[in-house]
Amino acid sequence: MNRTWKLVNTWLMRLIALIFLSPVVLMVLTSFKPEAEVLNPESLIPKHWTLSNYLHVLGWREEAPFLQWLCNSLFISCSITFLVVAFSSMAAFSIARLRAPGGNAFLAVIVATMMVPAQLFLVPLYLMLSKLHWLDTPAALIVPATAGGFGVFMLTQFMRAVPEAVEEAAVIDGSSTLGLFLDINIPLCAPAIATLAIFTFVGSWNDFLGPLVFMDSIRNYTLPVGIALYQTSYYTEYGLTLATSVLATAPLIVVFMAFQRQIIESMASTGLKD
Amino acid sequence: MTFQARRQRDSLLFLAPYAISFACFVVLPVIVSLTLSFMQFDLTNRSAIQFIGLRNYHEAFGDSYFWQALKATLSYVVLMVPSILVVSLGFALGLNGMVKGRNTVRAILFLPGMFNVAVTVILWHWFYDGEFGLFNYLLKGIHGPHVPWIDDRSIAMPSIVLMSLWWVLGGTSVILLAALQQIPKPYFEAAMLDGAGVRAMFSRITLPLLRPVLLFVVVTNTIAGFQVFGQPFLLTRGGPELVTRGLVQYIYETAFNNYRLGYGAAMSWLLFAVIAVFALVQYQFLRRSTA
Repeated sequence: MNRTWKLVNTWLMRLIALIFLSPVVLMVLTSFKPEAEVLNPESLIPKHWTLSNYLHVLGWREEAPFLQWLCNSLFISCSITFLVVAFSSMAAFSIARLRAPGGNAFLAVIVATMMVPAQLFLVPLYLMLSKLHWLDTPAALIVPATAGGFGVFMLTQFMRAVPEAVEEAAVIDGSSTLGLFLDINIPLCAPAIATLAIFTFVGSWNDFLGPLVFMDSIRNYTLPVGIALYQTSYYTEYGLTLATSVLATAPLIVVFMAFQRQIIESMASTGLKD
Repeated sequence: MTFQARRQRDSLLFLAPYAISFACFVVLPVIVSLTLSFMQFDLTNRSAIQFIGLRNYHEAFGDSYFWQALKATLSYVVLMVPSILVVSLGFALGLNGMVKGRNTVRAILFLPGMFNVAVTVILWHWFYDGEFGLFNYLLKGIHGPHVPWIDDRSIAMPSIVLMSLWWVLGGTSVILLAALQQIPKPYFEAAMLDGAGVRAMFSRITLPLLRPVLLFVVVTNTIAGFQVFGQPFLLTRGGPELVTRGLVQYIYETAFNNYRLGYGAAMSWLLFAVIAVFALVQYQFLRRSTA
């Protein structure tokens, strides 16, 4: 391709990026506008910058306890991420390195069940969780999430690639099984584990259907369900709902900025394997 | 204890936490769900809980709301999947051809995928709002028509698709870009020496080599499309006149608003069957056309 076309292409992609980014910029700018300005969007940049939307949102106690939702989301997502990483890496280590009896057959079953849509589990889980009296508690979201198969599947592939010789050397040096796991396999698979952790965190942070079904009282909601409820009650008060959206998204934007390359590249590679 | 025996014991210890969780929250729910689907199980009428064989499935086939929901889901899939395929391939080619700043553009396209569905909908509801919406404000500025983005039977679903495209295109584009970058450069150089044009190179080299990834994109997005829930549930509440109420929303309302768990479970299995059929057909197509 010649130079002109390359230049046209580059500017076209920049324009598309600008279009994609504009809703985000509009959201942030508008959240600093007083309500009267929001509905009359003559200028993109607020004429009167105000924090009132944010103060309003953060000041809520009873009907929309935003900070409570934020804490719930943080607690639930962090717990899920920790448990998924722990359970998946242990299982992957057992199947790939310790050659657990029946491990490969188990892996095949795990992969097969990954094709079952998550919705299928909603109704039976609801019934099971109600019998356990876990409905409307964080356990209803955290504990079932540890059964996801993606982490075991991915980490098994990575741990199979750990060279036999490294492990043999460690065994001869008197390393225990736990030592093999913690000192060799975990560090060698650190990038894959980080990818799993990021995907799990983002996925659970944005989960909507689970908390919608399993949580009942407003104070136990996670952020997505909380702000969805909030959107229904304050339909047209866009200044408020946009400020909530900014606050709810900010933690993920921080994660995204920090791990941008890693997130995008692990997403990219999902299409490449086999 | 021998080394081998100790290893085997350790392997079971390491496997146990996940295996127990898998048994309780994957295997057991599948069994419970299957059982429920053969039962009348209304939480509002606990005395009438009983086995009814295939009656739930039978009911679904005669339920006009079920067919309507399936139709809504299908219309989402039919609009969404080809759009994703074409636009993200375009984006991937565009990104691949960029002289500089590729990673920044890639990150910006990817960014909306980080938003949760509620935030995405709040943002787009503000764009689409009939009275106070940004789109209609802008259209008014250029003396364009007033568009009922989410209040019209035939426009509501395309509006949901447009919003969803903004939300997910970045991820797919990134996947296709990675695949594009894996095509060895000498292929194109050789073709160029033989006097092949851009179009010929695209249809003879790029497309055939991308085929497995393109079909991966089609299959995964079809599966995801059949599970659409949050976007219509929050943006249009399934309206107007239920034209955007998909199967998952109907299942959700059946099971958790009307507390008919048995019928909800049966419809979940029907949804799974529909997804499995589509995925298998596409997978066969993938195998045949790449063999």
